[in-house]
Amino acid sequence: MKKRLYLELENCIGCRSCLAACTQCGGHEERNRNYVYDVNPLVNRQTMPLMCLHCVNPACARSCPAQAIQIHETGAVLSALVEKCIGCQNCTIACPYGIPKFDTEQNLMYKCDLCIDRTKNGIPPMCASVCPSNTLQWLTDEEIGNRKKQFNLDNGKWVSSLPYLESETNVKVNLPGILQGIEKLF
Amino acid sequence: MQKDKFFKAESNVVHPNETLVKTHCAYCGMQCGMNLRVNVATNKIIGVEPRYDWPVTVGKMCPKGVTAYQQTNHDDRILKPLIRDDASLKGTKEGFREASWNEAYDLIANKFRELQVKYGKDSLSVFSGVSMTNEKCYLTGKFARVALGTRYIDYNGRFCMSSAAGGFLRSFGVDRGSTLPWTDIHETDCLFIAGSNTAECHPTSMFRVWNVQERGGYIIVADPRETPIARRADVHLDLKPGTDLALANGILNLLIQNGYADEEFINNHTNGFEETKELVKEFTPEYTSELTGVASKKIIRAAEIYGKSPNAVVMFARGIEQQHKGVDNVSGYTNLALVTGKIGRPKSGVATFTGQGNGQGGREHGQKADLLPGYRKITNPEHVAEVCKVWKITPEEMPQPGVSAYEMFELMEQKTIRGLYLLCSNPAVSAPNLNFVRTSMKNLDFMVCSDFYLSESAEFADVILPSVTWSEDEGTVTNLEGRIIKINKAQEPIGESKPDWQIQVELAERLGKGKYFSHLKTAKDVADEFRLASKGGNADYYGATWDKIDKQDGVFWPCKDENDMGTPHMFLDKKFYHADGKAKICALPYRPPAEEPDEKYPLRLTTGRVVYHYLSGNQTRRIQFLRDMCPEPYVEVHPETAKKYNMDHEDKVRLYTRRGEAIYKVKITEAIRKDTVFVPYHFGHEQSINLLTIAALDPISRMPEFKVCAAQMEKVEIKKVQ
Ligand code: SF4
Ligand code: SF4
Ligand code: SF4
Repeated sequence: MKKRLYLELENCIGCRSCLAACTQCGGHEERNRNYVYDVNPLVNRQTMPLMCLHCVNPACARSCPAQAIQIHETGAVLSALVEKCIGCQNCTIACPYGIPKFDTEQNLMYKCDLCIDRTKNGIPPMCASVCPSNTLQWLTDEEIGNRKKQFNLDNGKWVSSLPYLESETNVKVNLPGILQGIEKLF
Repeated sequence: MQKDKFFKAESNVVHPNETLVKTHCAYCGMQCGMNLRVNVATNKIIGVEPRYDWPVTVGKMCPKGVTAYQQTNHDDRILKPLIRDDASLKGTKEGFREASWNEAYDLIANKFRELQVKYGKDSLSVFSGVSMTNEKCYLTGKFARVALGTRYIDYNGRFCMSSAAGGFLRSFGVDRGSTLPWTDIHETDCLFIAGSNTAECHPTSMFRVWNVQERGGYIIVADPRETPIARRADVHLDLKPGTDLALANGILNLLIQNGYADEEFINNHTNGFEETKELVKEFTPEYTSELTGVASKKIIRAAEIYGKSPNAVVMFARGIEQQHKGVDNVSGYTNLALVTGKIGRPKSGVATFTGQGNGQGGREHGQKADLLPGYRKITNPEHVAEVCKVWKITPEEMPQPGVSAYEMFELMEQKTIRGLYLLCSNPAVSAPNLNFVRTSMKNLDFMVCSDFYLSESAEFADVILPSVTWSEDEGTVTNLEGRIIKINKAQEPIGESKPDWQIQVELAERLGKGKYFSHLKTAKDVADEFRLASKGGNADYYGATWDKIDKQDGVFWPCKDENDMGTPHMFLDKKFYHADGKAKICALPYRPPAEEPDEKYPLRLTTGRVVYHYLSGNQTRRIQFLRDMCPEPYVEVHPETAKKYNMDHEDKVRLYTRRGEAIYKVKITEAIRKDTVFVPYHFGHEQSINLLTIAALDPISRMPEFKVCAAQMEKVEIKKVQ
């Protein structure tokens, strides 16, 4: 059954285990391809991960003059092909979330490939495997649907997912505020 | 066993020419399951792979766990015994030369003998730790009493779990850190969490913690700082450090006044209710608010939620325990569960977040000054006789009880203790009042340190013995649930390093005590003797064979025999471990912290951990990723306080107390009380916050008051204008 990366930003505890894990999939040259930000530095401890959303029509790939950024049949937007990437860095500018990273020494772009060596065989990506708070999860569409229903955010005040800058994405996101819709037990 | 909704059958990636060895993390009491990736050609650990099938943590790990494997083949490993001939270099990294095991053993045996002939058996001491297997912890206790014949053995659990132990023993008559398995946590209706920065210190509990709220349940957090868990709590009780007992009494009073006391449970299963009820009467919301600094409406709300919850778990950690009334704090919060009867059934109970990997098991089997295996008392002649049978010594040969960890340093200063064998601990960073502790270590006649890295404490040693990391040996540890689990060996020891149990057997032979130790040839041999030694004690591990641990995904103690499956839930029969089977509700008069703020020292200093480091940082500060994330300590200051002191973010300040000082960068955050500053304690030398902390000890647990003392600060440097 197809599973997706699913994010619940409200849960993030800022442990950056997702960054550590991204270096450990065995195929990432021990460099992480994801980000975690302090939302309100100097104020509180809220943090959130910034992950590649694996857009259905990705700006990075569209901007690439050398067709170095391929889209895998699972929908994963892959890291640039070493033999094709010309190091122009268009993609790093085109991506509205600033996901692609650039290695100046190798003159090569690299980005999250959704741990393709794992996910193509149905094995969860490293970041979602380790995330201690369930901010990052690896779920079926049905499970994602259930979670969205559970959070019951169609109250006019909160939305659970934005029309993203790049419209449809393979990764699904729940914004902070999910608990607003929860009915308390007593 | 206990596979819950978070459990998913996932497969693992196995790269070509690799195998996976299933084991657990090297660090904290969560003991997250993990697989170590081992290259079959080189037999070297090269990475980590999630262990999805471990029921407690289902593949999850914090960044320490993800990078833990990098310890094993690290460049800083000590590969051969080291000897330092020039004692004037003590306290530095200098002057060590490589030596053979033979030379090191001979030197140690001669020096130990010399000291004991001249100054008596008790001139030697053992200071150990609980970040090692039950087998090693057990043998260390035996080594001190049988091979060295000294009364002076104690361990770093005194700085970690001793108050929880003391409180549980008083309230329940038994000290199992959690009365219920972690797989219950997310199913309860209310978590009352006091003095635990859970998101940073036990991160892999968090998916269960958050799930309580997702189900519509409540989280109440008592903490002077707005930690990541406090940020999302339904009620954050932002108390002054060191006032927990007032808060616990205040909440208990409200529970009783508002009719949440379970009279039937109280009458049938507890003692001490009436006098406690009288005592807490005084703790009205207003008075409690005055003492703790928490708004009374928050106190009232917290009591209401906890009282109304059909099921609830009270949880706590070092925040309440590392105080000179730590034991009272533990019993005080435990009172909440006993008075409302929310204990002794699934989804309700009391739990402490055990700090070290084997903080639970390591405190049960005889490393503590007054304990013997199976949680037996060295002052109880029957207990002594039982252990003597296993050890094959006479009761007369059993040493008397010793003194607590910090008090051993006092005896070193007085020259009562002249020799030290230190293992699995780094008190030169983790003990309080470090100027004193470091001087005591420096003045020892002879010190041996066993470690796999040259720790700050090893800098005081005459001989350093290279021990192995957790991944180069096997054995059991007991996680924070009380579940006995198995650590597996993933590679051969590097260099000439050896497991501590083997070092102790060989040293015992040199000391002429071979007949008590030589039969222990493998970790399994030690395990078998240890199970037998625990048999019949409160912490009975006899039935927890390695086989059963493997088949059942761990075994909860007590586990008395082959057919016993273990005890995931404690007190289901409502029988507590005091002689009359009843629990004790404790009447606990409030005492303020040992050192209250005054004009000269107007701030409250509290200390704690960050997610990237473990304990003294001797291991984690060497791991690149973790060091990059948190390279140095800092002092957290509220912006209004910073303004008063004319300080900016990243300014350097001199922070000082009556005992010491250190210089830190300021980290401005609104997520802390205005009267409190916070510094993480994982750093060595001049960066250690424990240079400043106070050694006020709890009268029962002898736990130092790490969590609060009076401090002052001043700016030392104007930030450069860019
Ligand atoms: S691992 Fe999860 S909780 Fe930790 S920083 Fe990443 S997203 Fe946040
Ligand atoms: S999916 Fe894989 S490559 Fe992408 S951020 Fe997560 S760990 Fe890194
Ligand atoms: S340090 Fe603790 S929480 Fe982190 S991975 Fe290790 S056992 Fe798990």
